[in-house]
Amino acid sequence: MPKSSNPELRRSVTPWGSFSWGYSDVGADIFVGLGLVLAWAAGASNVAFLFAGIVYVCIGLAYTELAATYPVAGGGQYFVMRGLGDIFGFIAGWAVLLDFTIDVTLFAWTSVDYSSQLLPALVNSVHPWLHFTVVLALVIGLCLLNVVGVRESTAFNGVVSALDVVSESCILCFGFLFAFRPHLLIHTMQFNWPSPYQLMLGTSLAIISFVGLESISQAAQETQRPASIIPRTSVALILTILIFALAYSNLALGLQPWHPILDAHGHPQQFWQIFPNNADNQGKAVALLAAQVPYYGAFAALYVPVLGAVLLLISSNSGVFGSSRIAYAMSSSNLLPSIFQRVHSRFRTPAISIVFFSTIAVIELLFAAAPALYPHVAALYGRFFHGENGLEFLADLYAFGAATSYSFVFLGLIGLRLTDPLSPRKFKIPLNVPFRFRGERVEFPIVAVIGFVGIVSILLFTLRTHALGRIFGPSWLLLGLILYLAYRHHRRLPLLRSQKRDWRSAQTEILRRAGELELMDEYVANLKASDERKRRTA
Amino acid sequence: MPGSEVHVTATGAMVALFIAGAVGSTLWWMLHPPPSYVQKIAAKAEHELERMVGSLIVVFSPEIDSAHMMVLAAKLARGERSELLALYIVEVPYTLPPDAEMPFEERQALDALGAAETIANKSNVAIRTETIKTRSTKQAVLDVAKREKAHLIILGSFREGKYSGAPLGRLIEEIAADAKCDVLIGVEGKHGTLLIDESVQPSSQAV
Repeated sequence: MPKSSNPELRRSVTPWGSFSWGYSDVGADIFVGLGLVLAWAAGASNVAFLFAGIVYVCIGLAYTELAATYPVAGGGQYFVMRGLGDIFGFIAGWAVLLDFTIDVTLFAWTSVDYSSQLLPALVNSVHPWLHFTVVLALVIGLCLLNVVGVRESTAFNGVVSALDVVSESCILCFGFLFAFRPHLLIHTMQFNWPSPYQLMLGTSLAIISFVGLESISQAAQETQRPASIIPRTSVALILTILIFALAYSNLALGLQPWHPILDAHGHPQQFWQIFPNNADNQGKAVALLAAQVPYYGAFAALYVPVLGAVLLLISSNSGVFGSSRIAYAMSSSNLLPSIFQRVHSRFRTPAISIVFFSTIAVIELLFAAAPALYPHVAALYGRFFHGENGLEFLADLYAFGAATSYSFVFLGLIGLRLTDPLSPRKFKIPLNVPFRFRGERVEFPIVAVIGFVGIVSILLFTLRTHALGRIFGPSWLLLGLILYLAYRHHRRLPLLRSQKRDWRSAQTEILRRAGELELMDEYVANLKASDERKRRTA
Repeated sequence: MPGSEVHVTATGAMVALFIAGAVGSTLWWMLHPPPSYVQKIAAKAEHELERMVGSLIVVFSPEIDSAHMMVLAAKLARGERSELLALYIVEVPYTLPPDAEMPFEERQALDALGAAETIANKSNVAIRTETIKTRSTKQAVLDVAKREKAHLIILGSFREGKYSGAPLGRLIEEIAADAKCDVLIGVEGKHGTLLIDESVQPSSQAV
């Protein structure tokens, strides 16, 4: 009797499903990023978002090309490992893991901040212990839900994403229609331009509004016709998020508030001025902005905090299962110990991985919440770390992890263009320089270089301006590298070099599994033609 | 309480319009990818199916057991909004006059068509039923198919006990061979032998 083949992941993610996977992650970022950027970049917030947005477009295009060419679970770390080698793949994956663990805490934190708009007892500065307890309960709750295998469905993600796209479009359309003053925007930009240090800090925080494209790559293995669908969903996601981020920042600077905003002395304030030195407001910027939109704001004030809290919670959850997925993929590639692949016998989930990374998320929460909970810790932070608050601490690390992993992804893309020119690329980043490399025609991506320069400058901004980020971020990478080297030594695997892998067979199998049969045929034909050329040359 | 007057500016209105248009058109573009080669094949097959099942006839007779195919026919008819006719053929032997009373066969026809109606009603599909007395079942089926301009004749079948040159039943094979429309023949799996594990001996045997 013939044996049945191994079961494969069912490809059930539709174009909207793929979009909503990414949107539930990236879409939530503006809820966090807007307040932080307004707090630091002030009159240049739109410029900070524009710079980060340009870098984000380059990142998005790179991810789109890579995810469409290599539709496997694993995302950035897989592309980097394949393009640059095992150790760089590990660093990229480890940085993404930092981002995912921060993602869990940061979004659970801001989910509670948005809830506090309707439930004032949850305001962090008023009841820090209650705020901390609720965030901790959310993180532990999400961890347990993931251990027992309960996850929000793609359909739920899809509905929440659709509601949010409509909601944000309405806020922006009504806001620009009824409350936007172009001359106020120009005035704010002229008279509230930040210092170079503040602009750098604001720009490094603006990048967190664009983190999460990884999710689309993560779902590539379950997406129908990934090579055709992913470019569309990625480009749509890039454009939608970019439009929202630029529109929000310009609207916030040129907004004529519907309700008067007064400072402590009773003087009227502009909308953006409620964010500097106010962590409570920074954590719920979109809800505050929506409430200031004429007419629509009365309705938006009721539902935006709820919608924001739900979307942020989904994003937090994506951090829990995303980290376990990445760890699983890294473990399969011998970049992490096999314990991260171990599946719970009853729940059939990578329980150890989930608990491990959730514990790291809790540790990060302790660091973030400590200044609000203990005054002497706040004094310590004030002395050594410029008095950063909890939200800024999380945002620092989030920006660091994203900038590090994205830098390697650009290098991975360039590496793969040189070492794997035969894989068919249904989507290719524009602006390429063709030349011959090792007997093959390759195309060097100019956009990847522009993106790399942009993201490295953001990484440098982060290291320069974030007192906590420049200590904890590199420490995380160093700790990871020590663990990696110890593990590889224990397994008697090459420490700095890569394991030998048959990428040709792997790529054929990837395309077959993806159902991209035409691309598989093209790849096999390319391989044959290349072998023939080499034989003739020899 | 409102604190400001509303001033609609041309710039603000244009930006609002741009946001609505850009987000809407981006999402529309994303949700309408061009079909792949295999999707084109699937779409063509679906189109063929729509054409094929515009009008369905399910045939019953003492030699054609279509009860198990009726459920499938009803689901097909519902999905494609087809016309459905359940036809029972009573073959009158030449030893009897053409209009001879055949109470047993007519009773069987009532049962079969009643069951067909029940199945169709359960699937919320409109159905017509008809009983025909004829000398030749095959000719009657073909005549009704022509009259109804049927797109698909559905026939149930059971395997004959021994090989007779027509494994699906001679009548069914003749209808399938002569019909000018598509014919769907359903053979019940319980009569097959493929899945019977021959290594397992019956626990008790007749002596």
